[in-house]
Amino acid sequence: MLGYIVKRILAVIPVMAIVALIVFLILRLTPGDPAAIIAGDTATPDQIASLRESMGLNEPIYVQFFQWIGQLLHGDLGTSLLSGTSVNALIADRIWPTLNIALLSIVMSVAIAVPLGTLAAWRHGRFGDHVVMAISVAGFSVPAFVVGYVLIKVFAADLRWLPVQGYRAPSQGMGEFLRHAILPAMTLTAAYVALTARMTRASLLNVLGEDYIRTAHAKGVKDVTVLLRHGLRNAAVPILTVVGTGFAMLLSGVVVVESVFNIPGIGRLTIDAVMARDYPVIQGMILLTSGIYVLVNLLIDIAYTVFDPRIRY
Amino acid sequence: MATRFKTQDFDPADEVIAIDRLCVELGTAEGGRRVLDEVSLTIRLGETACLVGESGSGKSLTSLAVMGLLPANAIRVTSGSIRLGDTDLLTRSAREIRAMRGSRMSMIFQEPMTALNPVMRVGHQIAEVLEAHGIGSTSERRRRVLDIMAQVHLPDVERVYRSYPHQLSGGQRQRIMIAMALILEPALLIADEPTTALDVTTQQQILGLISELQRVHGTAVLFITHDMGVVSEIADTVHVMRQGRIVESAPAERLFRTPQHDYTKALLDAVPSLHPRQPRPQETRPPVLDVESLGKTYESGGFLKKHVAKRAAEDVTFQLRPGRTLGIVGESGSGKSTVARCVMRLIDPTDGTIRLGDADITRLSPGQLRSRRAKIQIVFQDPYRSLNPRRKIVSSLIEGPINFGLPRNQAIERARTLLETVGLPADALDCYPHQFSGGQRQRIAIARAVAMEPDVIVADEAVSALDVSVQDQVLHLLEDLQRDLGIAILFITHDLRVAAQICDDVIVMQHGKVVEHGTAGDVLVSPRHAYTRALIEAAPGRGWDFAAGREIAREETNA
Repeated sequence: MLGYIVKRILAVIPVMAIVALIVFLILRLTPGDPAAIIAGDTATPDQIASLRESMGLNEPIYVQFFQWIGQLLHGDLGTSLLSGTSVNALIADRIWPTLNIALLSIVMSVAIAVPLGTLAAWRHGRFGDHVVMAISVAGFSVPAFVVGYVLIKVFAADLRWLPVQGYRAPSQGMGEFLRHAILPAMTLTAAYVALTARMTRASLLNVLGEDYIRTAHAKGVKDVTVLLRHGLRNAAVPILTVVGTGFAMLLSGVVVVESVFNIPGIGRLTIDAVMARDYPVIQGMILLTSGIYVLVNLLIDIAYTVFDPRIRY
Repeated sequence: MATRFKTQDFDPADEVIAIDRLCVELGTAEGGRRVLDEVSLTIRLGETACLVGESGSGKSLTSLAVMGLLPANAIRVTSGSIRLGDTDLLTRSAREIRAMRGSRMSMIFQEPMTALNPVMRVGHQIAEVLEAHGIGSTSERRRRVLDIMAQVHLPDVERVYRSYPHQLSGGQRQRIMIAMALILEPALLIADEPTTALDVTTQQQILGLISELQRVHGTAVLFITHDMGVVSEIADTVHVMRQGRIVESAPAERLFRTPQHDYTKALLDAVPSLHPRQPRPQETRPPVLDVESLGKTYESGGFLKKHVAKRAAEDVTFQLRPGRTLGIVGESGSGKSTVARCVMRLIDPTDGTIRLGDADITRLSPGQLRSRRAKIQIVFQDPYRSLNPRRKIVSSLIEGPINFGLPRNQAIERARTLLETVGLPADALDCYPHQFSGGQRQRIAIARAVAMEPDVIVADEAVSALDVSVQDQVLHLLEDLQRDLGIAILFITHDLRVAAQICDDVIVMQHGKVVEHGTAGDVLVSPRHAYTRALIEAAPGRGWDFAAGREIAREETNA
């Protein structure tokens, strides 16, 4: 098991190296001179030339690559062209709001979706099932910004229970954090509740047809216990997959939500960087997101073994 | 050893379960199809009643009705009564029935792998019976579970208690099921084909265990099986079911000696005899399949892991001549299927050579192999899974010949002829697999193999999933095809009775090695190797000639 984890962590290295190579090449192979783009329309050829020199663009491409990789290995993602601050500092500043809201969304979606999906499977083909399925079709179909604005209208503008927008860190008080984070998290969650509930239902329905469910009934075990103890745990692996990939996808979904709720997270940082062609920041963001993807997948694979003893690596 | 039927008289014993004119219909509305029709049977204290019949006859439905486990939204009891001791089960609430399940009546199922929860330790699964009925503290439950595990002769109970099902053997899993069923000493034990998925030697142990525990606890046993051999060894009373009705009930010996109902006679007639059929004349044509020192070693492990090599097959040598049938028999894990798959080149052998006709196919690349594939075809065990459910029969039958260059209309013509050869109407071409029974599907699978005009057919447990009467028909079909087309058959089976009826020569495998190789007559009548003898001894009902209704004469068994 430990060997497996070590092996998986080692396997991250080539993955990240390929990502780094692609990130590097995208920037170098896009048409146009990065120095010219960065210097802007009004720059003189001399200014561009000196910028090229200072960016190291006159070196052969492989030298540039190794210089950049060398920087990366020191944990240095470069300096933002726009603000002049280091990319590390920018990301460190913006990552927490995003991570906190994404985590809250995942917790909420599991807490809502798994019971809903279980209910649907239990009442398969009956009223409760139809209601849950209707809810999840709606959750899928309505775009996040619509959900966001409706939630703002109802809970912030009309009822005035929650603030319209903004962000407070948990360090400023958990209550304040939740008051600000709950609407963005609900906005993000809608689609994942739908997805996870459907997966829970499908997976559980599959499991409920298994022989060991009949065995449990034959032992005289109560229906609820059969459903939860024998059913849900066996249904866990596909649900876990959806939750895990959902978390990674949330990080991209967060862009819209951060705009709607005016949250200073990495979603907005990315948009600003793209608008301003702030390449070092874009590179840093791509590397960060792929790193999180890889990490989350590793955690999911390890979590499988917790739920299913047959899975041994 | 002569067959000794159980002859105890149970008339004075108390009735444990009495099913009286039970009717069950499909669907929830009036007038659904009747799947159980006035089923009546009684089992007394300590009695073993066998319920026999072919698939779809209603055996399992009867047991599920007793347990109150019929799916409520699909099937309902319309009339009749089921009394367990003094309790009329059909008038009780779902809650009351649940309280009786596991305590007064319990059940074990066919497939011990799927019947146990794969993600729960087996000790906890047994303890759950006690928990569900509110018995004992945690530590007391644990003590009782360890105690019953010792009673079912599980080794190293502390370790097994903590194991998951996949860490145990098939026999151990079935012992867990039995422990689970008997821990609360129920009055009635229902065993639904409990040994069908097990090897013969394991089957023998499990049957012995059930009757031992039955003696100790005085349990009434309802034993569901399709295997007449098993019935002859364990039954006090036999009930024969057909199409939802009990057509004959009699004490075991009377039923086997003087069956009354035509269906009972037909069932007994279809039981293949363990005594090999008459040998066929020697075949002198050169072999179509020549396997020499075949070996398959699975390697696992590698980086950061211990390197393990598992020898699945080792030094297997045989020749198969045109028109002959060679059987490979052995228990699960003996390597017989590995050999079949190597010969087919579905997996790559690690040692030895395989010659198909005049060509060495051992190391051919997939491209080179392709042109030879038509010469060797396979029929798999489970006809429900070996035909693509979304393709019409015609597509499955013509795909191979078309791949080998036969024009489409000729391929269809050949498919039509073949369907008639295997005993199906030609209009079956436009149907889908689900429209056929298991036996019909296996005929289609055979037609598919024959359509390629092969020299060799590998039949991997090809009749094991079929009812005996259907099994008999399919075996005859294979024999007819062999006679007419001169096909050689490599017949993989765990069933010695089947092997005795179809094979000219037999190879017995154990732990990947050939332990005995000879003519069917020599191997099955005068086995030399201890393992072969153990296999034959474990075959249930081996001293009885089911078709003739009498003991097999001593000189014939030669045990």
